[in-house]
Amino acid sequence: MTAQRLPKGGHIDRTRPLTFRWDGTPMSGYAGDTLASALMANDEQILGRSFKYHRPRGIMSAGVEESGALVTVGKGAKQDANVRATTQPLYEGLIARGQNAWPSVRLDFGAINSLFGRFFAAGFYYKTFMGLPPFEWGRGTGMWMRYEKIIRKAAGMGTASREPDPDRYEHAHGYCDLLVVGSGPAGRAAAHCAAKAGCDVILVEQDAIMGGDTLSQPDNTSSLQEELSALTACGVRLMTSTTAFGLYDNGVAGLLERVTDHLADPTSWLPRQRFWTVRAHATVIAAGALERHIAFGDNDRPGVMTANAGRTYLNRFAIQAGEKIVIATNNDSAYTTASDLAGSGASVTMLDSRREIPFSWRSHCDTAGVVIKSGAAPMKALGGKAVSDLTTAIRQGNSWRADRNIDCDLVLVSGGWSPVVNLLSHRGIKPVWNPELACFLAPTSEEPILAAGSAAGVWDDAACRTSGEKAALEALELIRNPAYRTAAQTPGNWECPIDPLYEVRPAKQKLKSFVDPQHDVTTDDIRLAHHEGFVSVEHLKRYTTLGMATDQGKMGNIIGIALMADALGKEIPQVGTTTFRPPYTPVSIGALKGRNVGPHFRPLRRTPLHDWNLDAGGTMTMAGLWHRPWFFARSGETISEAYVREAETVRRTVGLCDVTSLGKIAIQGPDATELLNRVYSNPFAKLQIGKTRYGIMLRDDGLVMDDGTTWRLTEDEYFMTTTTAHAAKVMAFLEELLQTRWTDLKVHLTSVSEQWAGVAVAGPLSREVLTACVEQPTRVSDEALPFMGVVETNMREGIPARIARISFSGERAFEVYVPSDFGPAVMQRLWDAARPMDGCLYGLEALGALRIEKGHVTGAELDGRVTIEDAGLGRMASDKKSYVGSALRKRPEMVKDDRPRLVGIFPKDRREIFNAGSILCAADNIAGYGEGWITAVTHSPALGHWIGLGFIKGGHEGWQGRDVVCADPVRKGNTAVEIVSPHMYDPKGERMYG
Amino acid sequence: MAKRQSPLASVYHLGMHGRPGEPGVRLQEITDLNLVQVAAWPDMLESAAKDVAHAIGADQPPGPGHAVSTEQGTALRVEALKWWLLDCGMPTLDAKTAVCLDLSHSRTRILLSGPEASVCLNRLLPLDLRPDRFGVNQVANAGIHHVGVTLRRSEAGYELFIPRGFAVSLWELLVETAEQFGLEII
Repeated sequence: MTAQRLPKGGHIDRTRPLTFRWDGTPMSGYAGDTLASALMANDEQILGRSFKYHRPRGIMSAGVEESGALVTVGKGAKQDANVRATTQPLYEGLIARGQNAWPSVRLDFGAINSLFGRFFAAGFYYKTFMGLPPFEWGRGTGMWMRYEKIIRKAAGMGTASREPDPDRYEHAHGYCDLLVVGSGPAGRAAAHCAAKAGCDVILVEQDAIMGGDTLSQPDNTSSLQEELSALTACGVRLMTSTTAFGLYDNGVAGLLERVTDHLADPTSWLPRQRFWTVRAHATVIAAGALERHIAFGDNDRPGVMTANAGRTYLNRFAIQAGEKIVIATNNDSAYTTASDLAGSGASVTMLDSRREIPFSWRSHCDTAGVVIKSGAAPMKALGGKAVSDLTTAIRQGNSWRADRNIDCDLVLVSGGWSPVVNLLSHRGIKPVWNPELACFLAPTSEEPILAAGSAAGVWDDAACRTSGEKAALEALELIRNPAYRTAAQTPGNWECPIDPLYEVRPAKQKLKSFVDPQHDVTTDDIRLAHHEGFVSVEHLKRYTTLGMATDQGKMGNIIGIALMADALGKEIPQVGTTTFRPPYTPVSIGALKGRNVGPHFRPLRRTPLHDWNLDAGGTMTMAGLWHRPWFFARSGETISEAYVREAETVRRTVGLCDVTSLGKIAIQGPDATELLNRVYSNPFAKLQIGKTRYGIMLRDDGLVMDDGTTWRLTEDEYFMTTTTAHAAKVMAFLEELLQTRWTDLKVHLTSVSEQWAGVAVAGPLSREVLTACVEQPTRVSDEALPFMGVVETNMREGIPARIARISFSGERAFEVYVPSDFGPAVMQRLWDAARPMDGCLYGLEALGALRIEKGHVTGAELDGRVTIEDAGLGRMASDKKSYVGSALRKRPEMVKDDRPRLVGIFPKDRREIFNAGSILCAADNIAGYGEGWITAVTHSPALGHWIGLGFIKGGHEGWQGRDVVCADPVRKGNTAVEIVSPHMYDPKGERMYG
Repeated sequence: MAKRQSPLASVYHLGMHGRPGEPGVRLQEITDLNLVQVAAWPDMLESAAKDVAHAIGADQPPGPGHAVSTEQGTALRVEALKWWLLDCGMPTLDAKTAVCLDLSHSRTRILLSGPEASVCLNRLLPLDLRPDRFGVNQVANAGIHHVGVTLRRSEAGYELFIPRGFAVSLWELLVETAEQFGLEII
């Protein structure tokens, strides 16, 4: 293969030369080149090494089906493996290298694998699972664990960077009346026709420039530009470098736009790729067709590629890919390539497997100097690392016989065309084999999705335009009238019928003929699979890995299916095809994630006191989506020292804690009381205005859903608080009840979690702090605000506040809620009052320690398996009313005496520590799931040792005086513990009520 | 009365960002939101609608998915039974007709304007914003990065009402996205 850039022509910009590096060597190309065309112009022939055998590979196509020129682009964190050089636009400074080779693709020591090729046939990898014969026959696969590593190292493709992806990606949403996929003659005609009729049209093209197959035709730049200008003038939105990779329900298309992959130095504010979700009323698929190879000996040798690729490199990139060219075909289409190449000065020989040559081309080829051999085909490509000769074969009856060699440096092959029916296949449409055209075609869809042009099997350029217009008109009709039924396109337009030739294999010839070059699947592999009993095409695919490489069978599937059908003695329709699934071409994980990475991996929820907490020295932690203060360490303090100090301070003086993340629901309406009485297990009908009550909510199945307090503000208005974790769940559950079961209740629910900032003021001096911060101190006196009392009053500076005297810590405590924008001001005022009293700020860790000491439950205990009795709150549940879960909580299984009950846990040796998640076992039977589990542990500042909460069968009464072990086999081992009441500190609540 | 503090205070950086040149997108927080929710009882919907129209001095209340704006305030129909009243304070309504709730501190109000505002918003929000599909004074509830937001198109641009706790997170995404169009924060 001796490629050369022609002095003129092509869709490249010769005024913009570009330099790039290939395997460390500086080279040059032009703007408008792909990496493949630039490498070809530099006469680089070996661009890759094959997957298993490390055979040298060159450029095999000019598009997305490329299976030879797979390279690694970029370096460091920006290294991108398995890039098809045929679709990578060239840019200044591009760095690319070969892959799966050492030291380079030109000289690869891995090529030794070729010598052992007979051992690496289909199923080789699976067979290694059977063990090393004869030593491991019937005894497992111990050796496999060792040689698996060697196999994996020897085979493969490019290597991804291990560094985090530094690029940005984003999502986008688009809407249109008609989405047209493909900008070839059919796509442009469809878009123009629809836009002229007033449709809002998006035209997407996977290539960097618009034009599709038109770009592969002899110079037509000006007419194409005129056509594109007309489209823009009609309002068509043109999207280049954008692949429609999948079609989904209701007209949704997934697009991948490569925004900066062609730029040398992209700006930081542009994403590298954009993941589009486009919703269209109708879609026209004008995605073209892919030219197939024919399987013959060493058909993977550099210098063998598809016929149309030769034409594309000539007309689009102004590169004559060879000087002595053999074109092998079984259909009419390759004659245009022969004519164009001969016109460029190359010596061209046509091998047409058919006996009958298209009449219109005979004289044309004679004039152009193209030698035509009918009934002839390629048998074996000869040469070292690139083609130097081609052994031909001639027909002899129904078989082939080796013929003479032809001296050549380029072999172009056209084995027929496969319409790109992938997107239609995504919608569940099964392609149907058309024997006249030797290709799969998609039947008409029941959705407003239409195929046009060569995607519908229409080969001729003018016919493609007509086909595009027809599809557009039908799409418009479908938009107006969804019941309209479309008519199938008329495919074909070849002068002579195609010869269904998939493999050239003369008798007694030992050939290595590739079907799927990316995965090194040969024709013999297909036959071996059949020989070993595989009859289904789906099984064949998985056994041989045919079509499972990055091209997903674009290059080899039809040949594989045809050979399987032949081996089975069936026709192709009887064998069928595999199902195409999205994506059509690879989509990077980064594009799928969009901007949802790093700190935006999930939306962060900040309390109004977030910045205040940080300024005050808080260390934050995640609680669901919320950022909450974890602890407030003083200089030199560890987290343990900090939270112990904080908890101890709360019990001694006073502490302030941001509790904004608690769920808050406004319940309004004349039936609000009735709603609460139906959803809470304890009575709510007689809760007085200005009072709050702790409530337990059950699920329908009688298990505990959530707990919290509900404040009665007026006759018809309540303020409910929920746990942080279950806020959304409770809100949704209550809404569901109102909208589906109790539609007669006049109640409105509104989440006000964002409206109110909340601060817990806890400790013996909490009232003093509060008194200093409200406008009317008498409103928060012991008399005006007793335990479980509620007031609505003003903080200083006229800030409205809701205050309840409730306690999670077990101390005298208040929860203060103010409108969120006033949160920081109120917190500062509270802190100004608390600090002189030797008060503290405390976080989630101290909050946990305080509540564990008191035996108060949270989401860690209320995990969906717990009854109200299990949680030790059974006495709260009413037997006099009906409420959600009231019937099913009395099922026999729910009231058994030996259910796990909430208990407190002390280590026998008070110096010991133990872990949450451990299993509680009887000391004489440490096995299985044990007798219970531990939900939470802490060092108790009040008790001076580690304590825990958990559940154990029969509760603490059943385990008094018995030896229990906390088993933690993975982390710590066993610790002897004793089971105590869950109310481990101030069990009578004297500090809370005092 | 104490000054209200915006959740965006620490991340609000005035001026030009991203692509140089004429800004394609402008972002502005409209602070001190005054927002009251009116929730009607199903059998009193018509009466509640009249009260809503009266509260803002309009002839007609906004229908589903729409807003009406007058000099006295703006009403958005955000749900089948609910309106949001902006900038007109707490209306006096009969509790037998509807209930009112102050939500002024629950949302952060951001105005997104400029020639590329629709394109920018569609990078984050799955709504058909073509002018003939989502015109001035249309209202929708949608989602940005899994967070429910309310959107109104006004003469000035798009008004986004974001749950206060998520305001910083979504603001950062808006800024990052808008930089490619040339962003001015005003």
